[in-house]
Amino acid sequence: MVQASGSSERNAFSRWLRTGKVPSALGPDGLELKYNPWHDLADGQFTFAGAGRHDGSSNGDTTNAGNGRTSSHVGRAPRIGSRTAAHPKAKVPEARPLAGVGQRSLEHGSVGIPPARAPVTPPSSQSSPVAEFVGGVGQGLYDVSAGTVTGVRAALTTNPVTTVRNAGRGIAGMIDTAIAAEDTPARVQLTRAAAAVDNASAREIGRATGSVAGNNALAVAPGAVLSKVSAMRSLRMARPRTIYDPPQIGWVKETVTSDKPWKTYNDTAVGSRPGQAPTLIRTMPDSSKRPVKFDGIQGDYVIDRKWKIVTAPRARSQILRQSEVLAQHRLIGVWEVPTPVQKIKALKLLKRMNVTNIKVRVVKP
Amino acid sequence: MIVTQIAHIIADYVVFLELTEEEELNLDTAVTMMEALADQLENLDKDFLRELIDAFAAIAEEYSDEAQRVVRDIAHNFYLEEALAADDPVRLAQLEALRDARE
Repeated sequence: MVQASGSSERNAFSRWLRTGKVPSALGPDGLELKYNPWHDLADGQFTFAGAGRHDGSSNGDTTNAGNGRTSSHVGRAPRIGSRTAAHPKAKVPEARPLAGVGQRSLEHGSVGIPPARAPVTPPSSQSSPVAEFVGGVGQGLYDVSAGTVTGVRAALTTNPVTTVRNAGRGIAGMIDTAIAAEDTPARVQLTRAAAAVDNASAREIGRATGSVAGNNALAVAPGAVLSKVSAMRSLRMARPRTIYDPPQIGWVKETVTSDKPWKTYNDTAVGSRPGQAPTLIRTMPDSSKRPVKFDGIQGDYVIDRKWKIVTAPRARSQILRQSEVLAQHRLIGVWEVPTPVQKIKALKLLKRMNVTNIKVRVVKP
Repeated sequence: MIVTQIAHIIADYVVFLELTEEEELNLDTAVTMMEALADQLENLDKDFLRELIDAFAAIAEEYSDEAQRVVRDIAHNFYLEEALAADDPVRLAQLEALRDARE
């Protein structure tokens, strides 16, 4: 298996994260072709990343004899915001799809930590996604700063859960810094980053994550890591969390009296008050305010109890009023009906009127 | 004969609930009362309900404009035909198809 490496891949990966476009090449049989710009000076054969000569277009002539792979990468990291990806010239004859798909969980398996100073891990040691990820992190970091590698490797050489937790704060800071420097909305970047898990191996993800430490480029973390990172830092610099106010429920006096079952049913909705009806204020097109009455409130769900479903014009207009006021308050409505027959009628009526923010459930009297 | 008189009482009540201005009658309260009326109509004797449904169609001509439409549609809007066919799945399917075609 050919080892994809070098800043050209990082450029391509970074480009994909920013633009959503993958600079891919397909062979005649439809399989993806991968490129390896590294060649052995002695016999011209492909080598692992950092060994031999690099023939990539954006990296100039980088020659390392033997295993000397350190200094040539420092300072050649992709520039922030760069939207051009270098395409290596050498084409790998044996094209294969990306490996590691479906084996990327960081929460499973044992930790097989490759040496951080050996960025290219032999294929035989790539069985563990955790090792892949950590190795990739080390590789990406190593390209920038050997000292950073040492620190991060120390943080990553514990058990997987602790690794993620310890690295989380640092990675969160990297993500914050990187995203704050980008003009692409954080939401878009995070969506792409999460989707990257489905299309990138653990090593690739780890490498991208590690690269951030030195380059302030966009960090890519798998979903499990990303969720922990978000929980710790909430990405406040990039995307302030939208906090919605609690439902603006008002209460109006309700004087309708009856000893019939429908009255008892309506009065016993969750969150109801005796002699009062919860209301939401509907803002009319002319900015005037009018209340819309319901029967109960349960968290963010506003309840209206329907003893029977009717389709009279005024009942239909009530549906529209409820749907509109619920949308204005970013709430979901719930119709509670006493029987499955009424539920079917309600669902059909709501469907005919294209109302989607009112749900229906059966609540027996 | 008596069914016609009762049909008039019910029709006047429905017209009131349906057409009274919002300033005089809360819209949500009106709908609630319609739901209560639907329950009472469904619980009528089936034979009487049949006569009542037919009576609504007959007396609708006595109303004008929008009220006439309201009275004529009472059986449809309150699912009265479905109430009569509650034990007949075939008839219920027919009514559902008719309702879908109408709406």
